Order: sequence, then structure tokens, then C-alpha cells
Amino acid sequence: MKLRRAPSRPEHETIVALIDVVLFLLIFFMLIGRMDATAPFMVFPSTAQTGQNLPAGGETVAIAADGRMALNGHPMDPAAIDAALAAAVARDPSLVVRINAHRDAELRHTLALTGKLDAMGVRDIVLIVTPKAP
Amino acid sequence: MELRRRPKGQRLISLVPMIDVMLILLVFFMVTSSYLDLDMVPMVERQDDAPPAPSAAPSDAPGLVFVRIGADGALRVGAQDLDAMGFRALLSERLAADAGLQVLILPSGHAPTQALVSVMDMATRAGVQRLRIVRLKEAP
Repeated sequence: MKLRRAPSRPEHETIVALIDVVLFLLIFFMLIGRMDATAPFMVFPSTAQTGQNLPAGGETVAIAADGRMALNGHPMDPAAIDAALAAAVARDPSLVVRINAHRDAELRHTLALTGKLDAMGVRDIVLIVTPKAP
Repeated sequence: MELRRRPKGQRLISLVPMIDVMLILLVFFMVTSSYLDLDMVPMVERQDDAPPAPSAAPSDAPGLVFVRIGADGALRVGAQDLDAMGFRALLSERLAADAGLQVLILPSGHAPTQALVSVMDMATRAGVQRLRIVRLKEAP
């Protein structure tokens, strides 16, 4: 007589481990990421060893290598950016303006913007950089 | 005879919608977040008691270094072309003579942003406390 083993039932795969991993990843990405307004074009900021902590909030002007500009992630022409920033400064005189200029962008864009912001009375204008190893 | 209903077993809450929501949140944070480590260098810090900017900037004035940045990013102090190492050496030498050294930077409008940041970086690392960027205004 031939004895046959009963076919073993397939074990149910638990989804608890999957939930754990997904939650872990979710918290990881929430902690290490910054929810800044990103530029609608590629911007690689300049590198510096003496950079300070980037202040949160404020308005962010991005400048591409070819001079295109964007305010808080929205592409705009310089005149529109000036008008929007003037209105923002009128609302909040302690406004911080962050300039996220591509490292190859010509300085005439950055310096012209800085001059206009200075004339508007903006107290803090900072240039975004990335840390450079010493 | 008394008939009793069977006690209902507890319904299991489906975890599938929760996993869906978590996955959507995960993808959202992965896509929209920026993972660059960002710092800043101040361009304008308005101080009410700040001394007025000098009206002229002769390159040989004592306690003052006037550096020009060319369109190609080259540095020029007075009539002297300098590389990064030479500029650092000049700053160290002048700072040793005058701790309150002021550095004025006049960049070309066509110079890359990195060139200005590098000069500011070198001056700050050398210990310069007074740093100004000079901008030429267009003629009316």
C-alpha cells in the first residue's frame, strides 16, 4: 500500500511586514526631505564651505543657467517677479528672499535682482549654496 | 424551547485601503521632496547701524582689498591677476597687517555665480569680517 502525504496548505503571507516597511520608508522620506518649492528647471547651486543654515520660509527665486527665472516654483518673467516680491514685502517687511541661482548663471541676473530687492527694503537676501567638503 | 443566535464573530477591518493610502503618501513624499543639503550665504543683511559704504575704492587704500571678477571668473586685484591660492595668500598677508580688513568685490555681470560665491567663501574662511559686493549701476 502506498501512503500519500496530505498536500500541505500554502501558508498565508502576512502583510504586516509589508506595512512595517512602507511605514518606515514613509517616515524616512518625510524626515529627510524638504518640502521647498522646487524650480521648474534644473538648478545646481554654487558650492561653499562657509555656508550657514538656510532659513525656513520666505520667497524663493530660482535662476536657471540660461537666465530663466521662477518665483516659488512658478516660471515668471523678471518684471512679474519684481511686482510679486514688492507686494510680498509690503505685506511682510521682515521677508526673507532666497535666491537659488544655478552655479553657471551669469551674475547680472542675480545682482540685478539683489539690487531691486535692496531698493524695495528687503532686509535679508540670501543665496542658496550647497556644502563643499574642505 | 429557546433559540439563541450564534454570537457574531468580529469583522476584520481590511488593511488594503490603508496600504493604498500609505503607498500614495510614500510616492508623494519621494517625488515632491528635495533631498539636496542646502546652506546659504547672506547677500544683503540690512543693519540699522551699519557704516556707510565707501564712495570710492582705490585698490591701494590701506585696510582695503578691491577684487574684480572677470567674465571668465578670473580674479584681479589692482593690476595683478591672481589665482585662488594667490588670493588666499594676499588676504592672509593683509589680514595679518590689519585685522579689520575690508574686501570689496566687483564682479563682471557675465561672471558665473560660482565665481562670486568662491571669492566670498575664500574671504570668509580667511577671517574677513567686512565684505561688500559692488555693483555698477546702469547709466540713465
